[in-house]
Amino acid sequence: MAVTRADRLTVAWRSASINLQGMPVFPVAILVGLGLVAIFAGVLAPHSSEVGNLGERFKPPAWQQGGTSNFLLGTDHLGRDVLSRLMFGARVSIMVGLLAVVVAGTIGTALGILSGYMGRWVDQVIMRVTDTWLALPALTFAIFLAAVVGPSLWNIVIILSAVYWTRYARVIRGEVLSLKEREFVRLAIVAGCSKWTIMRRHILPNVLNSAIVLASLQLGVVIITEAALSFLGVGVPPPQAAWGLMLADGKKGLMAGYWWLTVLPGLCIMMMVLSANLLGDWLRVKLDPQLRQL
Amino acid sequence: MKTFVLKRIGYSLVSLCLLSLTIFLFVRLTGDPTVLLVEPGASREDMAMIREQLGLDRPLWEQYGTFVASAVRGDFGKSFYYRTPVLELYLSRLPSSLLLAAAAMTFSLIIGIPSGIIAAVSVGRFGDNAGKIFSLLGLSMPQFWVGLLLILFFSVYLGWLPSSGSGTVWHVIMPSFALGWYFAAAHMRLTRSSMLEVLGSEYVKLARLKGLPERRVIVKHALKNALIPVLTLAGINLILMVNAAVVVETVFAWPGIGRLLYEGITFRDFPIVQATVMIGGSMIVVVNLVVDVLYAVIDPRIRYVR
Amino acid sequence: MHAFFLACLLVVTLGMSPAAAAPEGQVTWGVHISLAPTWFDPAEMPGLITPFMIMYALHEGMAKAMPDNTMAPMLAESWKMSPDGRVYDFTLRKGVKFHNGDPVTAEDVKFSFERYKGTASSTLKDRVAAVEIPGPSQIRFRLKTPWPDFLTFYMSASGAGWIVPKKYVEKVGDDGYKKAPIGAGPYKFVSFTPGVELVFEAFDQYWRKTPNVKRLVFKVIPDEATRLAALKRGEIDIVYSVRGELAEELQRTAGLTLKPVVIQAPQWVNFVDQWDPKSPWHDRRVRLAANLAVDRKSINQAVTLGHSRLTNSMIPSTFDFYWQPPPYPFDPAQAKKLLADAGYPNGFDAGDYFMDITYANVQEIVANYLQQIGIRSKLKPVERAAFWSGYADKKYRNLAYTASGAFGNAATRLESFIVKGGPYVYGSYPEIDSLFKDQSGELDRKKREAMLHKIQQLVYEKTMVLPIWELGFLNGHGPRVQESGLGLIPGHAYSAPYEDVKLKGK
Repeated sequence: MAVTRADRLTVAWRSASINLQGMPVFPVAILVGLGLVAIFAGVLAPHSSEVGNLGERFKPPAWQQGGTSNFLLGTDHLGRDVLSRLMFGARVSIMVGLLAVVVAGTIGTALGILSGYMGRWVDQVIMRVTDTWLALPALTFAIFLAAVVGPSLWNIVIILSAVYWTRYARVIRGEVLSLKEREFVRLAIVAGCSKWTIMRRHILPNVLNSAIVLASLQLGVVIITEAALSFLGVGVPPPQAAWGLMLADGKKGLMAGYWWLTVLPGLCIMMMVLSANLLGDWLRVKLDPQLRQL
Repeated sequence: MKTFVLKRIGYSLVSLCLLSLTIFLFVRLTGDPTVLLVEPGASREDMAMIREQLGLDRPLWEQYGTFVASAVRGDFGKSFYYRTPVLELYLSRLPSSLLLAAAAMTFSLIIGIPSGIIAAVSVGRFGDNAGKIFSLLGLSMPQFWVGLLLILFFSVYLGWLPSSGSGTVWHVIMPSFALGWYFAAAHMRLTRSSMLEVLGSEYVKLARLKGLPERRVIVKHALKNALIPVLTLAGINLILMVNAAVVVETVFAWPGIGRLLYEGITFRDFPIVQATVMIGGSMIVVVNLVVDVLYAVIDPRIRYVR
Repeated sequence: MHAFFLACLLVVTLGMSPAAAAPEGQVTWGVHISLAPTWFDPAEMPGLITPFMIMYALHEGMAKAMPDNTMAPMLAESWKMSPDGRVYDFTLRKGVKFHNGDPVTAEDVKFSFERYKGTASSTLKDRVAAVEIPGPSQIRFRLKTPWPDFLTFYMSASGAGWIVPKKYVEKVGDDGYKKAPIGAGPYKFVSFTPGVELVFEAFDQYWRKTPNVKRLVFKVIPDEATRLAALKRGEIDIVYSVRGELAEELQRTAGLTLKPVVIQAPQWVNFVDQWDPKSPWHDRRVRLAANLAVDRKSINQAVTLGHSRLTNSMIPSTFDFYWQPPPYPFDPAQAKKLLADAGYPNGFDAGDYFMDITYANVQEIVANYLQQIGIRSKLKPVERAAFWSGYADKKYRNLAYTASGAFGNAATRLESFIVKGGPYVYGSYPEIDSLFKDQSGELDRKKREAMLHKIQQLVYEKTMVLPIWELGFLNGHGPRVQESGLGLIPGHAYSAPYEDVKLKGK
């Protein structure tokens, strides 16, 4: 009877290691690489990411005429080093993305389980709120929230989580509804387990896969939305370095020939989001082949 | 069946009421439109006068009552900024938005469905990856960036397409591509998973056993059924494209509803925001309702799951 | 599925007209802001500068700013004030016609004043006792008390002095008028598609002269980069508001001309905490240090290519009663010393620095300079609507960026931003308050001016604000344009007068 924690871990590990087969190597390498850059940005970055010198504005990358090896990837409209900003930007973008996905996932999963398992009025309330949320265009909602809570890195996380928890709630609720009918849950009820215990011990572990897959797929959406918020002027506040903000700031320079200001952060976002999506697709096939409508 | 449908309609109405209350409070929580209708530093008499003209001096519950009572009759009030009836504005933008959405959806399905099918039938091969990656790329780049790169390349550098605005078929190409590409990945994924599901079903196995050529099995039997959920999703996405293509419409100066909504937000034009959100929201709620009911008619088991 | 293809087919067939070259005699503008029908009706003039973009084409004022005269007589040929300052007599120009052929009469002038309900309408109507018509082209305003600013308010700070045809307005009603406005300006209304474009056609019988260009088209293009792309491609001829790098590119592109205009909209940073004894900003030396730390010339160069005016004041230099403060040098060493004297040798954490996101690019540089002498602030760009609400609700601390393009004179600006009780005033100084009270009752213009100058001097001496500049609004035009009208009227942001706009070789 006694399934110890260690036993469960072993089982989990074994299934995980089997599942590693067919893992998309490139995307994972890119994500790991970007993650490392983000963690060690403070050590790696050659310059300050926030303070620049107006006298050195718009220096092109080192290999172009007029570039210097001091600023390998050039400087921006305030004379800040683009390479350093990209490195710190990785930190901000990854942090915002991961946090938003985790917070949204936690809220959404919790509400989905509650809604699905408790049923009745709890289900009604949660699902009606979810429907309302879904009927509000995400960007509209985000702009309003931004106006209410004001601009800051943490508020962007709050905004993005507040906008994107609904998908988890819907999908997880659907799964819980079918799990509820399964033998092991019935047995647990007969055995006299409390509702909370059942939700925590029996339902949650079984929906985690779906939540993880959803989260990996949403990571990209969140990062792209963060960039769109910057474009509309309500994203991560300057002078912080965030890829979305760099892209929105730099787009003016694109036509003036300062391509490095938008192409580089754009490529970073693209690589990161594409990798996250490929990884997410792979996870989906591995963990949860029948999951749909994502 | 009847009770199910009635219940679903009831839920939809509750959602709409919640939506109206949410959007009503949201716009009012986030700033005073009068400060935007005058230059900063205008006199207080002027601001008070504008507030009175717009009816913002009345108590909130009264404003809400008026809003709901007239919205039910299809009257969303007059825009603060344009001072013309909001419904008129909405309808005047609707054709542009429908056009953009239809074209974008076409692009999106042209990219999404074939790459989804290929991904489903040839897992792991090059075709799978190339199509998949192309679809996913659209999802991986911010729309404003894609838009700007398109303008730079096709309008400024090559000089082939007009940079912005509307009027001819040439104007539609870039914005609809930028918008459609973003949605392609979602359609690709759903095509793929629902194809896989259908390909694993009994009747497709049967068709194969009968010795039908694989191409015929895929096109004739599998695709037809696999496309149903994809088109359902496309329907919802179409509504989003019509009502909320904010970024693309701003970049390309496309005179659609997304831009109207965005202007409404930046100017705190309460009636515009309320109207666009309510109309768009109603469309989504209605489509969801219809889909739920249809699915329930087709497959009664769904009633319990949904 | 079929529906989409059908729709596309429809598009292809309907839209087959190729991208046509602009017809002869048409000038097209790329406008940065959505045009509103309220701007077609002078009676609803909001307190914004943008409606003048339309007013100058469609309507005619009793007097208006022209290239050579800030209050040039237009419909009013002349006017005079009675010795007691209570009666103003205007003589109308004869033979001026509205677009529908009706003559402009004294009745129309009276009617236009009475139906006016836009900005400053309560101020005007509270002080005007009666409007009379003593003769066919005479109109008389009787004031309740002498009011030296009457002409300013009637003819330039409001829409009350812009004349609409009484008969026509009464026939079509207010809503009908906004759909098909008729005025006495150089251009007739042709069509308007909200959010898309506005089309005007030359009015051949315009009294001043026949306009040079046949058609004017105003296209709304909200994104700055797209606007420039459209200009480069020749889709538009004149572009409004391109900033920074885009302006550089415009300047650099062969065939395109940059046309900067300094508008009556100074920008400054407000030390909202200067009345709090616990705040570092309470110390004048700290505020002075901040002023010395900012290199305004470089900012001007970087953001507006050197085309803003460094007036060092928070009041437009073109306003009545303006006093010119001495400039602050850029002197970081002195700034650091001042900070050390004030007890902050290592600088201090200044906390949040609030601003309207529209100008976050400028404030980012200002914050960068402050950081260099050790004043560490955190930028809080707030979306415009929320920013001004928060400002008026006194929610901000430390630093708050401020800008104003409101009409008026030095007194109205001081009232809003410096004097006790103003909507954006977080604290004030008693000597300024009492001076201000005195001047508002002062009828002698000279004495009033002296008092207002004294107040502005006090603002400077107390270092109440960190002025940045009077904004240079960067516009440009393409190769087809001979005269864009940009910058002809000092302080006017847009092309005007439209009848003088000219294409090359025409």
